[in-house]
Amino acid sequence: MKWTRSVLMVAMLCVIVGVPLAAQNLPAKNPLEGNSDAIKYGMGLFRSRCADCHGMDARGIRGPDITQVWASGRTDDGLFKTIKGGVPNTEMPANPRISDNEAWQILAYVRTLAAPAPSDPPRGNAQNGEKIFRETCAACHRVNGAGGRIGPDLSRVGSARSRESIVTRIRRGRDEFLPGYAPVMVTPQTGDPIRGVKKNEDLFSVQIMDTGERIQGYEKEKMRAVEDGIQSMMPAFGPDRLSDTDLDDLVRYLQTLRGFNPAVPQ
Amino acid sequence: MHTTTLRVVVILLLAATALLAAQQARPPALVTSAEILGGLPADGSRWITFGGNYSNQRHSPLTQITPANVSRLVPKWTFQTNTLGNFETTSLLRDNVLYVTGPQNVAWALDARTGREIWRYRRELPATGLTACCGLVNRGFGMLGDKLFMTTLDAHLLALDMKTGTIAWDAMLENYKIGYASTIAPLVVKDKVIVAVAGGEFGIRGFIDAYDAQSGKRAWRFYTIPGPGEPGHDTWAGDSWKTGGAGVWVTGAYDPEQNLVFYGTGNPGPDYHSDSRKGDNLYSASVVALDADTGKLRWHYQFTPHDVHDWDATEVPILADITIAGQPRKVLMFANRNGFYYTLDRTTGKVIAAKPFVTTTWAKEVGNDGRPVMLPGNTPDEEGSRTCPDITGGTNFWPPTFDPSTQTFFVNAREVCATFYAWKPEFTPGERFTGGAAQRVQGPDSPVYGALRAIDPATGERKWEFRYINPSTAGLLTTASGLIFSGDGEGNLMALDSRNGKLLWHYQMGATMHGTSPITYMLDGRQYVLVPAGTTLTAWALPD
Repeated sequence: MKWTRSVLMVAMLCVIVGVPLAAQNLPAKNPLEGNSDAIKYGMGLFRSRCADCHGMDARGIRGPDITQVWASGRTDDGLFKTIKGGVPNTEMPANPRISDNEAWQILAYVRTLAAPAPSDPPRGNAQNGEKIFRETCAACHRVNGAGGRIGPDLSRVGSARSRESIVTRIRRGRDEFLPGYAPVMVTPQTGDPIRGVKKNEDLFSVQIMDTGERIQGYEKEKMRAVEDGIQSMMPAFGPDRLSDTDLDDLVRYLQTLRGFNPAVPQ
Repeated sequence: MHTTTLRVVVILLLAATALLAAQQARPPALVTSAEILGGLPADGSRWITFGGNYSNQRHSPLTQITPANVSRLVPKWTFQTNTLGNFETTSLLRDNVLYVTGPQNVAWALDARTGREIWRYRRELPATGLTACCGLVNRGFGMLGDKLFMTTLDAHLLALDMKTGTIAWDAMLENYKIGYASTIAPLVVKDKVIVAVAGGEFGIRGFIDAYDAQSGKRAWRFYTIPGPGEPGHDTWAGDSWKTGGAGVWVTGAYDPEQNLVFYGTGNPGPDYHSDSRKGDNLYSASVVALDADTGKLRWHYQFTPHDVHDWDATEVPILADITIAGQPRKVLMFANRNGFYYTLDRTTGKVIAAKPFVTTTWAKEVGNDGRPVMLPGNTPDEEGSRTCPDITGGTNFWPPTFDPSTQTFFVNAREVCATFYAWKPEFTPGERFTGGAAQRVQGPDSPVYGALRAIDPATGERKWEFRYINPSTAGLLTTASGLIFSGDGEGNLMALDSRNGKLLWHYQMGATMHGTSPITYMLDGRQYVLVPAGTTLTAWALPD
């Protein structure tokens, strides 16, 4: 017990003492950018530590596309802190065992994959986009604490997703789903089937959020059927349901969403 | 006789009987090598070496818990480590006391009746510079005399006093700052403690050591990579042998008849980029048979010559005497990370049977000469090449089990493929030296799942399987009553009928049994099944 406490105290001291010092000394620009050795080691580190979520090409799997982060306005020092500290309330973990040098190496490598900033002028009207969002998307998606919960929270979707990937998700949303949003249908012994998204599962039970946003677990052997769906609950918004102009407006709005701070202002 | 006198006599007689029973039940104060050689006794009173017995069969003679009553199991107690990190251990039991190693080189003696702590040991580990690749874990104690033996993350071997948990001696295996660590459960053979080092991802030169149990003095060392002038040295190009890895981090088996220990050896390094280490790279990814007194190599068999997929052969070897085609054979059974199951003749190291037990795309088969018949397109490069199994392999360090009554080998198998990448690494002592990475492939044409598989060692054919949603990393336990205890990839502890794989009972533990195996023992007439999972140890038994 004593030991656990001392570990905690040391950890807290590190947090209290270490972070401000690190922050003071942190260069704004990656000191290893363009360094060929750093890029080579960074590639190895990225592939072994980051690629499971961000993809071998860094264009995103369950984590966001990070070839777009500079284009979307992120800075080297900010990304350094993200690697080391993670993103609270997301699946991006803190990486205390990645050294400062390694974090810069990773960034030096990812920089080589980075897409140039889009040369097209930004399209669309964000104000109208927000209106479209409230009418069309907000029943399922939450932004800054308002909206539905059956789909992913989009409060920070603009910080890392490219315009291209957002457009694909809207136009062909049915085709894929993220972990935690797989479609599932549970049929009890009596009563109607319950449709929802799968939050967790083992051999004996499944935990879902149903379309009424009720979160509930079900024991499989007590159900008549538990069936996985193939297509996401996200409808496909083709040009018949969402015109190209409206799409531009909607994407423009989504690109403004850079993170939700839940703290109550003092 | 007067009633009172009669009562006194009866009481005295009862007391004397009880005393006698207690004396009979109490084992000798010191653990002897004969006791370890005796393996798992019929009375269930001890589990004093990693695999239960030297053959690593993990097959208990106990029969109180049966396929018919296993569904009535209830928890008797739960112990929590209160440490960071998870169990990867096999617990030991002697004289009603459990000896358990945990993460970060913390260890305990626990009352097996109640789970209450008797003593606790914690190693002062260096704050920085530990190089254990894959977690600050430990796989268990060994014991002899009045001592317990434990390896450490900073590459030492400790002897602890069994009664107090204080250090009796401390022997350094190698310098942890240049990539060495040790997580293996020691194997005690006669008067020696056999251990080894991990570090295949850090450019070490692996070895297996034996230490005198009393003094802590080193008795012998076997380098898993031969030095200049030794046979096999020419299987490493240039100086690559110096940083060739081949760590050993899973406990071997012992054959007293031949006085041989058998250990599986780790991957060659760098793991994926192999231009610098042309050749077979002996004795990496092999099983080596060593004389237990001298450490001299009797024979070896290399499962994966010139491995480029990080397929350590650090799985648990199981020994048995079985009948194949009407002939009694002394075999060594081995389900390998490379996807093949092997039955070897343990007197010669020759292959009797070898067959994939999971989807395997790198080799067509094992040829008559014992070498794999390679398939093209499986060498990692900067573009990536797809191979099955993945880096974690068809199985890994979690212990399999063997039921001699049905002559069946059981293993938790993984069905996962990966894209393997390689690039030329630079060597810096104490830094990772892998030269590549791998990414799991998952999709409609490449499903990922796990399965408990029962294998006939005579042929390598599958007898049955029980599928999991995700691959499991749980070790196994079988009992003479026809049960197999396993865990799935979602934290369920489960009991199955070992004859047919039928699920009989399950319980959600809240953490997977990652690399841990249950043990079972008798205490006060009751059979317990002890299960480490995550940070808890839970003892299960039938209700009163």
